[in-house]
Amino acid sequence: MKDILTYFERDMLRWVRGRISVVSALIMPAAWLIFVGLALPTTFSEHYIDFITPGILVLTMLGASLQGGSLLIFDKILGFLNKFLALPSSRESILLGKIVFITTRGLIQATIILVLAGILGASLLSPIGILVSYGILAVFGILFSAFSTTIALFLSDHDAYAAFNAMVSMPLFFTSSALMPYAVMPSWLSPIAYWNPVSYAIDAIRSLQEGVFAWSRVGALVLLAVLVVAICIHQFRKVTL
Amino acid sequence: MTPIETLGLTKYYGDLCAVDHLDLSVGNEIFGLLGPNGSGKTTTVLMLTTLLQPTEGSARICGYDICRQAREVRKQISYVPQEMAVDIKLTGRENVALFAKLYGIPRRDEAVGRVLEMMDLSERADDLVRTYSGGMRRRLELAQALVHEPKVLFLDEPTIGLDVAARRKIWDHIRTLRSRGMTIFVTTHYMDEADHSCDRVAILDRGLVIAVDSPAALRARVGNDIISARVRGVPRDSFPEGITLLGEREPGEMVFSTDHGSEKVPVLFHWLESQGVAVQSLSVREPTLDDVFLSLVTAREDGYGFDDHKFRMMLRRRG
Repeated sequence: MKDILTYFERDMLRWVRGRISVVSALIMPAAWLIFVGLALPTTFSEHYIDFITPGILVLTMLGASLQGGSLLIFDKILGFLNKFLALPSSRESILLGKIVFITTRGLIQATIILVLAGILGASLLSPIGILVSYGILAVFGILFSAFSTTIALFLSDHDAYAAFNAMVSMPLFFTSSALMPYAVMPSWLSPIAYWNPVSYAIDAIRSLQEGVFAWSRVGALVLLAVLVVAICIHQFRKVTL
Repeated sequence: MTPIETLGLTKYYGDLCAVDHLDLSVGNEIFGLLGPNGSGKTTTVLMLTTLLQPTEGSARICGYDICRQAREVRKQISYVPQEMAVDIKLTGRENVALFAKLYGIPRRDEAVGRVLEMMDLSERADDLVRTYSGGMRRRLELAQALVHEPKVLFLDEPTIGLDVAARRKIWDHIRTLRSRGMTIFVTTHYMDEADHSCDRVAILDRGLVIAVDSPAALRARVGNDIISARVRGVPRDSFPEGITLLGEREPGEMVFSTDHGSEKVPVLFHWLESQGVAVQSLSVREPTLDDVFLSLVTAREDGYGFDDHKFRMMLRRRG
């Protein structure tokens, strides 16, 4: 447990001393919020920014989580990972430290996006609703940061990781319920969107806007996260080069 | 308890045999593993540090098996890979404290201060590592590796990319550690450095250990003197008595060994001329480990085991 915090502290220090990366990760979601949320002429919603905000929050977490995998790629390329693997401390703490850091960083970015949405006129949830959304975003972040960090463990260089990231992030986002409700989707898209884990998180937060806690969506998300983290821990424990 | 013992340690990458039935026994000494790029040095170190599973054979570090007791092995050792991996956005002290925490060291601040002092980094300890020179970064890595007082220290190419003064300083530190009872297993392709500082060396060629001995004993194997000749042409007959051809270092540079160098120079010169070989220069010098290596290894091409990535990293650091 202490080791997880040590690894977390290392990444956190490097991040806050990095400056530029703190800002750059926010540009994309902010652009979505402003140029799509405010500008897109939609027919199914009076107040599209209210509809799209949960989607953009989850997009922020998705981007942060997938971006986070490159931390391990760099640790690997630069020789840090070898040094860490040769330590007697447990190897899964390397993974868990990354998950905690990437998820925390994602939540900080999501907070900034949430404030921006408020400024742009989105109606905000109740304090309890916001708290529950953070919980959902955290579980979502844990799921995808575990996934991306473990993929990074098996890829050899940054180009390969960038290719993986590009291949996964946009398709996941566009085949989710982020941009439109199931009712207006073409019939081939709605089942794909329904089973897309990105939609679990979006739908769960959207239900909160109507004051409903979507047990099945949250349950599916938690279950998947537990499963993926367990597989990833197993991979880290047995890893040799 | 023998610090390092390997028994038929072998690693295959597909069909390529990177390390071939390695049998070594290393005591409390500075032990150098020498060989050109791709000879299997790093693969050996990765296996001994539990990062790589051997295909065959086994090894023990301080009595613990590298496969079955990996965690115990990791408690006894420290490993400094050849990439210089220190966090440049952290201070020197923070870098060492990170490892002290991960090792779970009691009275941490004291231990961190002590190793920084030992590596002559106290004055700059609270500066960001970004401002450190290459030599300082390497010493910082040594400080990280020493903070838990390991019994065995593995150093992979510890002086690569450093200038002469920085290299000398690193070796001074390594010798000090040995005098305190630590076992140091070091890989290098700088033969002269190994000659100076290692108690014993193993020469590795294409995964196979072709000689293990002290540098002085190895040098004695190639005779008293070396005559190096720059020539054009190829001699046809066998060489005159008392002169042995060790090999060709590069096209046109032949290396001979003999017991009485200055007396044999005129003999060799006349003989080469009589063979129709044009002699550009002849020089006599003492043998080095390079000559030992040349005599032991047949001409080799540097095709396999070439790590493209590491090569690019090295070029970048030089530039």
